[in-house]
Amino acid sequence: MPTSPGLYAATANTIAVGVLLVEFLMLRASLFRAQVRLYAVQSLIVCVLAVVVAATHDLPELYVLAGLSLLLKVIVVPVVVLRLLRDADVEIAGSGVIGVASEVLLAIVVAGFGFFAIGHLHLSSSVLPTAALSVSVAVVLVSFVLMIARSDVVSQAIGFFSLENGVSLASLVVASGLPLILEVAFLFDLLVAVVVFGVLMRVHHGRTDTLSTAGLTKLKG
Amino acid sequence: MTRTVPVIVIQMLQVLTVLVAAPGVSGFIAKVEARLQGRRGPRILQPYYDLAKLFRKEALAPQGATWFFLAAPLFAFTCYLTVPLLIPVLTTFPLPLGYMGDILGGGFILALGSFVVAVAAAETGSPYAQLGSSRAKTFAAITEPVVLFVVFAVALITATDLPYALAATVHSSTSQIVRPAHLLASGALFMVILYETGRIPVETHTGTNEFGMIETARAFEHSGPFYALLSWGSAMKQLVLYVILINVFLAPWGLAASQQLGSVLLAMVSLLTKAAALGVVVAVIDDSFAKLKLFKIAEFVAGAFLLAVLGVFTVYLGGG
Repeated sequence: MPTSPGLYAATANTIAVGVLLVEFLMLRASLFRAQVRLYAVQSLIVCVLAVVVAATHDLPELYVLAGLSLLLKVIVVPVVVLRLLRDADVEIAGSGVIGVASEVLLAIVVAGFGFFAIGHLHLSSSVLPTAALSVSVAVVLVSFVLMIARSDVVSQAIGFFSLENGVSLASLVVASGLPLILEVAFLFDLLVAVVVFGVLMRVHHGRTDTLSTAGLTKLKG
Repeated sequence: MTRTVPVIVIQMLQVLTVLVAAPGVSGFIAKVEARLQGRRGPRILQPYYDLAKLFRKEALAPQGATWFFLAAPLFAFTCYLTVPLLIPVLTTFPLPLGYMGDILGGGFILALGSFVVAVAAAETGSPYAQLGSSRAKTFAAITEPVVLFVVFAVALITATDLPYALAATVHSSTSQIVRPAHLLASGALFMVILYETGRIPVETHTGTNEFGMIETARAFEHSGPFYALLSWGSAMKQLVLYVILINVFLAPWGLAASQQLGSVLLAMVSLLTKAAALGVVVAVIDDSFAKLKLFKIAEFVAGAFLLAVLGVFTVYLGGG
């Protein structure tokens, strides 16, 4: 007899899987503008999930969190990153060290590892289905693949930011009652990272006239 | 109308619907595509006229081709006529022959048909036909795992792999529709269908761009009635795949739940409407994307594979 996960769990899982799918799309985006836009979309999906949880479980402080992260991650961070990159005349972020199809297959294996590892823990949460937690770990692992396989600064920075999206998805699952002040601290942590990466991108582009990190291996002694 | 129809007749009607409507669906898609490009486009009935013309023409075979070359179109045509017996074309309840094969069985028969055509193309000695058949088999080998994972997802959701069971499950509640496993498997199947029917991200459906051809290049050496059978067959394959996507995965509504004549006729109308709606989606995709380079097709298939595998992961590990 087929079992149904229930309407709420099914919807929440689908939204969580959407976050993971956007992470996979980042693996194949070749323009850095597209990369930044994908990050904005991914953050938006996390906000939507936060609103869904807030609305169904009567957790009003999640509305504040969703609003704050909408402001920061969907609007401010992408705008700041795009502005920092405006004088870089490079449009194409460059491809990775391996082909896109191989990257995706590798990422599927890594994501599968995340799924199985979390599946064995048998964690249960009161607000979200466990599959969403597995998805969040898969997002973190795939963003590592993105950072490792791509050899341009933008993809690496966006990989790092989207890793934070995976973490906030996980925190929605396991600790949606986390004190608001901690969540906000996370968000400002991200802001610091954006500034640091932004400076890094500009300095790198100014020194080497490219956004690729491939030339950096020449620096070793 | 309360007159009932014997199940055997419904079974025949399933095949007949696909047989008769398939060229019309192709013609409809071509028309919509032309309108979206600002052209007037061919008549919707144009494929029927083309078939009628081809059936009146003489049949030629290249020198050195054996009987297999001429038998292949007939064989493939028979394969495509068999599949509508196995899938819910018109009814929600399984028909007597419906349990002859499961989803894998249907997929196997479809693959057998295209394999026979590929072998016949390889027999001709024509470089384009051989190129087409070798490419078709190469990419079929990488789309096969996607289909398998879609079947796994279906099997995990319904605990069977019968198309009727999945249609009934999807029909049963909203949560079955929005669960990620179902959506991901449907998405993967849709991408496979775009590949199998030679639609735009993979292949241009019309035109004579020989170098980009995959499936359509295989029929280069066939002529007359045999070519008619091949193109009718590929239209039928397209409609069969649409029926699987629509009536098993996406929208198993409007099917006849009883043997009454009225509801069976209504099921035919609703099937054609749904197929036309899917055709509009396909035409929009055809007009809004560029054809992928041959070596980028692997990326397209990797995307479909990703969807299917994630579907299996979520349902297997998280109950999603």
